Amino acid sequence: MAAYPGMSMGEAHRRITEYLNRFSDAVSKQDAASLRFLLSLSSNSPFLLSLADALNTFHDSSRLIKHSDHYSQFSDILFNFFRSLQTYRLANLFDSYQAFEKSANAFIQEFRNWESAWALEALYALAYEIRVLAERADRELASNGKSPEKLKAAGSFLMKVFGVLAGKGPKRVGALYVTCQLFKVYFKLGTVHLCRSVIRSIETARIFDFEEFPKRDKVTYMYYTGRLEVFNENFPAADNKLSYALTHCNPRREANIRMILKYLIPVKLSIGILPKDWLLEKYNLVEYRDVVQALRRGDLRLLRHALQEHEDRFLRSGVFLVLEKLELQVYQRLVKKIYFIQKQKDPTKAHQVKLEVIVKALKWLEMDMDVDEVECIMSILIYKNLVKGYFAHKSKVVVLSKQDPFPKLNGKPVNS
Amino acid sequence: MEKSHRQRPNPSSSSSTQFRSQKFRSNPTTKDGKFTKNNSPNAREDFVKPRRASQQTQQHVDDSSNLPVLLGTCPFMCPVAERTQRERLRDLAVFERVDGNPRKTSSDLAVKKFCRTISIRDMPTSDLRPLPVLEDTLDYLLSFLDSSEHPFEVVHDFIFDRTRSIRQDLSMQNIDNEKAIYMYEKMVRFHVRSLHKLRSCTNENISSVHYLNMEQLTKALTTLFNLYDINRSSESINENEAEFCSFYVLLHLGSNSQPTGESLSLWFRQVPIPIIKSKEMGFARRILRFFRMGNYKRFLLTTAAEASFLQYCIIEPYIIEVRALALSCINNGGYKLHPYPLTHLSKLLMMKVNCSLSNRTNNLHTEERTIKSHSMTY
Repeated sequence: MAAYPGMSMGEAHRRITEYLNRFSDAVSKQDAASLRFLLSLSSNSPFLLSLADALNTFHDSSRLIKHSDHYSQFSDILFNFFRSLQTYRLANLFDSYQAFEKSANAFIQEFRNWESAWALEALYALAYEIRVLAERADRELASNGKSPEKLKAAGSFLMKVFGVLAGKGPKRVGALYVTCQLFKVYFKLGTVHLCRSVIRSIETARIFDFEEFPKRDKVTYMYYTGRLEVFNENFPAADNKLSYALTHCNPRREANIRMILKYLIPVKLSIGILPKDWLLEKYNLVEYRDVVQALRRGDLRLLRHALQEHEDRFLRSGVFLVLEKLELQVYQRLVKKIYFIQKQKDPTKAHQVKLEVIVKALKWLEMDMDVDEVECIMSILIYKNLVKGYFAHKSKVVVLSKQDPFPKLNGKPVNS
Repeated sequence: MEKSHRQRPNPSSSSSTQFRSQKFRSNPTTKDGKFTKNNSPNAREDFVKPRRASQQTQQHVDDSSNLPVLLGTCPFMCPVAERTQRERLRDLAVFERVDGNPRKTSSDLAVKKFCRTISIRDMPTSDLRPLPVLEDTLDYLLSFLDSSEHPFEVVHDFIFDRTRSIRQDLSMQNIDNEKAIYMYEKMVRFHVRSLHKLRSCTNENISSVHYLNMEQLTKALTTLFNLYDINRSSESINENEAEFCSFYVLLHLGSNSQPTGESLSLWFRQVPIPIIKSKEMGFARRILRFFRMGNYKRFLLTTAAEASFLQYCIIEPYIIEVRALALSCINNGGYKLHPYPLTHLSKLLMMKVNCSLSNRTNNLHTEERTIKSHSMTY
């Protein structure tokens, strides 16, 4: 490894020693913020980058670590962290992850021995870094034709950390942060079912009081658990959780608000609540614009078109099936419009809607449906209480109830 | 009477002997960079990893892995030791008996049984069948589906167990190449057909047989998807993958998470785009939409017009459910003074309507209860 131009051996020696001193100072002064900075490998701070260069210049860092009692006690943490940083700098992500995991393991052992929870913030940095490094290591593995497995390993490590924090002491408030990192790992891996066991620990273990956790972590937690409810189409629960996340999210974190809304909007639509246009504009959620418009107008063609246009995006986020189901509400709106038009022409006869009229309306929307299918749809709408009335097969007409023929959903999903 | 007159060549006399097994060792790391999921235009940027972690991939460089690479050497459909033991214990299926003798079998007839309690460590390689033997064994087993000598439950039971053993041998040897795909496809098809055929069987514990069949179907299907992932390259998608993906969708028509416990929305995230846009998936997704909407007319019409036989086997129980729903809707919303005409109903629901019911045209509730006894007319 060539020496870096501009960095002499002496300089390298100095930088490494500086890091070691800052590390041991942070620990002895219980300065979690400094420690966090020192461990944030992927932050690419100039300090760490030049330390990486120093390590690649002066190779015998282990000798330096053993030099003083102040930091030799942390030799496992430091030696492996240095290796991780060195290999990271040389774009060898696989090795970087391996070394980082060893360093993090050693850190956990120390952390266990510290009685108070002073170092939690530094632990958070480790949890974050291990996930991010694992993702990058897996990308490297995949591009080399090998099977990615480091993110899964990071998941196991994080479970271990969770176990360390799940106790009666003050460290337990850190468990939610680690949980959220686990959620991110499982969502990325697609092994979402593994979230269940952590959720169960958080929600049923007596040592945890949800209100005690930091607000930022609660928002993230509700966001992910809300998304799980969306996958399972539990709309009332999804609404609760995602709304909680939205209400408590820092209003300046627009990217986060956007992410929450991305899932909350389909949920709200399913319970009959439409967002205003300005909301969609402000947070750049234009993919929902046509969907909302279709619901307002009873325009089935527009709904189908919107689903097709953004099909890949909706499938990827897992809301496609939720949006597809809005079709029934669109039909309801269409029939309601026909009813209003008829009311204007002749209020006494408005409540009788000929099936042929609906067929014609659908034809204008370029939807080809025969009378039988329209009757089928009407019978479903009546069955699910989206329309009040009855249909007469012989006269091919729907007779609407004189009172409230199109009941609103009122925050409840359509009966399934 | 229980004579098995199936002729098949003795496996040890064919070229598929143990010496050939060397050529069939499957090692995913020799695929030479075919694992290019991220470079593929079909990859979704979200994911670094394929659908599910395959327990079958080996890490020959990684020091943490210590799974042995097993290579079977058993040249017969059934290891000799097991064969003689089962002869002694009179544990021979009807298909395995020479001239119907419950105490005698032969290397031509005995097929290795599934053993739940055995682990990789305890399985000697002489008891493991190499890939060529497994291929021949599978084809031999499936040939019994053509015969009508025995009631279907008996045939199903035999094939069910013996194919499970085949899958066990495949997984213990970490065989995950295209030949494995081909075999799993055949096995999944068997389970799908059984879904249909078991429904017309009448013995008393048929529902548990059915349940177990569904369980193995989903297990085999899940493994098949893993195999598709492992063997995927940027140039091609396996020609049958779309069909089997459509099976997965149709299996999950009912609720959001039966029978695998995973929601369909979650599963769709990981399906490659060309598969989503395939004809088979298009059909399955439309059926799903009609089912969830309650559009009984389109559901029945589309199934009748477009479903393949295997797809029909999976949809079948939902057809009954949809017809019952249709009756509920018509009963609920139909004008009570003008009974819904039966001939039209019969056309709509695509079923023969029993004459005796025409006396009760006002009481559609009766039809709901008796709907299960009606047969499909298509």
